[in-house]
Amino acid sequence: MTTSRRRFLQGVGAAAIGGGVFGAPGILRAQTKRGVPSDPVKIGVLAIRAGVAAPVGAAGQRGVEWWADRVNRGGGILGRKVELVLEEESSPKDTVERFRKLAIQSKVDVISGGISTAVGLALGPVAEEHQAIWLSWDATTQKGVEETMPRPKWAFRSVDNEVEAVGGAVLTAKYFKGVKTIAGINNDYSYGRDCWDAFLAVLRRYTPDVKPVLDLWPKLGVTDFTSHIAAIQQAKPDLLMTSFWSGDTTIFLKQAAAVGLFKTMKGCFTTGGGVHDSLKKSFTPEGLILGYNSMYFNHVGGSPLLKQFVREYLAKHKEYPPYECDHGYFTVEAYKAAVEKAYQAAGQWPSKDQIVKALEGIEVESLSGRRSYRDDHVMMCNFFQGITTHKNDFDFVTIDPVEVLPTTRIMKPSAGAKLYDWINATFPLKG
Amino acid sequence: MLTHTLNVLLSGIFHAAILFLVAAGLQLVFGVQRIFNLACGSFYALGAYVGVSAVNLLIGAGLPPQLFIGALVLAGLALAAVGPVIERLLRFVYDRDEAFQLLLTFAIVLMLEDIIRIIWGTSPFSTGGLYLIYGGVRVLGVTIPVYNLIVIGASLVIALGMGYMLARTRFGRIIRAAAENREMSEALGVNMRAVYVKVFTLGTVLGTLGGALVIPATAAMSEMGIDLIVEAFAVVVIGGLGSMRGALAGALVVGVLRAIAISTYPEVEMLLIYLIVIAVLVLRPRGLFGGAAA
Repeated sequence: MTTSRRRFLQGVGAAAIGGGVFGAPGILRAQTKRGVPSDPVKIGVLAIRAGVAAPVGAAGQRGVEWWADRVNRGGGILGRKVELVLEEESSPKDTVERFRKLAIQSKVDVISGGISTAVGLALGPVAEEHQAIWLSWDATTQKGVEETMPRPKWAFRSVDNEVEAVGGAVLTAKYFKGVKTIAGINNDYSYGRDCWDAFLAVLRRYTPDVKPVLDLWPKLGVTDFTSHIAAIQQAKPDLLMTSFWSGDTTIFLKQAAAVGLFKTMKGCFTTGGGVHDSLKKSFTPEGLILGYNSMYFNHVGGSPLLKQFVREYLAKHKEYPPYECDHGYFTVEAYKAAVEKAYQAAGQWPSKDQIVKALEGIEVESLSGRRSYRDDHVMMCNFFQGITTHKNDFDFVTIDPVEVLPTTRIMKPSAGAKLYDWINATFPLKG
Repeated sequence: MLTHTLNVLLSGIFHAAILFLVAAGLQLVFGVQRIFNLACGSFYALGAYVGVSAVNLLIGAGLPPQLFIGALVLAGLALAAVGPVIERLLRFVYDRDEAFQLLLTFAIVLMLEDIIRIIWGTSPFSTGGLYLIYGGVRVLGVTIPVYNLIVIGASLVIALGMGYMLARTRFGRIIRAAAENREMSEALGVNMRAVYVKVFTLGTVLGTLGGALVIPATAAMSEMGIDLIVEAFAVVVIGGLGSMRGALAGALVVGVLRAIAISTYPEVEMLLIYLIVIAVLVLRPRGLFGGAAA
């Protein structure tokens, strides 16, 4: 029953996108280059459509769609038009089926998408089995904090799960000196647990005697935190850390404001920028650490590309883009650059093998600045975190100052490295 | 210590107030129509979304934001219109196996979730900071948001109103008679079809009103109904299926236990609640107030 209702929605979505790609006026009739087929490049897109992560899935998809429109207007990839084939990311089992369908039945050239870690763990081996190039948005193939596929051939993973928690701890040490006791509220699954552990480990490198006094583990989708907040008030920590990334961030902040929670403690929201425009000034205080992973829509030093994207996104979707857009955008832009690079050497449309080779180490301009794939297929980018402020023209908070934290500083250097060994050897950061 | 106890207790009662409204709708419909209506969770979600839209209309019309409770109550009541439509659909399965009834109401849950997504999108949808507009009161060192007290009060008034209605009014007597013995009530001239429509609509409104009232304190998400149904299950088992008093007692037990668990051993929040559920199922299968219909 669930499947058929979702298929129906997919149909609607696919029709809408198809209409966008084929029906858009002003597309140049594609002039393919020598040795390049004239049929469209098919890109499979896996996006979450239901549940708490649906807005994240929508953002990634919109990033890819904006890229596709732009590339098609510019004549496609080496003159080949881009066509998106949309499928839904849901449970690992169902998503594996849809991944297979994209690879075998739709015969797509590349598959972009995947947000959930559970789905990522399942898709990694399937990508290898089908020799399908898979460019994940936000999903890793980490189990806990350890990598399950240190050297995949076809899978290209996102940044490690706990990067934002590492960044949050670095900024906590920098901005909130004197924090001795901390409490955590994180979702009860591996992402939440890994973020809490990594945050503590890094903070301890700066403040060895920092003491965790409470850790709460609500499940994803909870809409009433009044009891959790009562427990936090009782524990009286100097700082509250959370890796909430969905609507629960908004709800928590609202219910916290009603009892003045952050009047008595600091707060570090490593991933809350995911729902940035719902963090209204009326209940989100100034002075919290807030993380916008890998793209910050209001970055003053941002590129003209970012500014154009934000403008057009706002006009089309009536909201300011969240960071997931750039995870989507980067994967397909990297694919395009890799095809073009491999074409230079091959003189014809490159084979999948050649594209994979070209993707390794590729660096492109993304919405958030330069982004790349490491040789071991892990995404490298900038993380944006800072201190919440009300001094802006929006009705929600933004951050000032903005700290740009590159993954070269806050992510372990290779997929095979042990996280806690690296943390102990690296922090406190110099300079 | 006292401060903390009060704080925990109040947070539990706040949670119970919302749970009660949804569970009460569930109980009423089950008591009379013998249908376990999973869609009561969707009514809650629908109430939340329409509530936010109504508040946005109010603010858009330039009316003072303090009046937002009025908009919420109106939205919750207006959604009564959904009741007869869905009751008409359920009429096809009244005499069929319970599995069909469950499947149909679950289908309604999934359909309403998609409809919500199509109309309001997937992002969390909320009334911004209106929740804080009435401020808070300090009692024994605890800051209590006034709006939480309003929700608790509203839930209490509704509970008392339902109790009065069932015990003292003609319609209440008909409902109890219908719950007790459908055939006999019909033989005595009660129009059961009309009673079913009214009861189901009332059950719907309890859910939509619950959703509309709670929304300032939280944010609407399309799957919020499903999460609540699971908790409502526990309420119904503990309180006793079909009993209104059971809904109140069950909601209080679940709400307060949850709050105590979170502030003492947060790891066992779910475990504790379902341990009680199992204990009730084993030791007192009809629940605390089971047996007495409606």
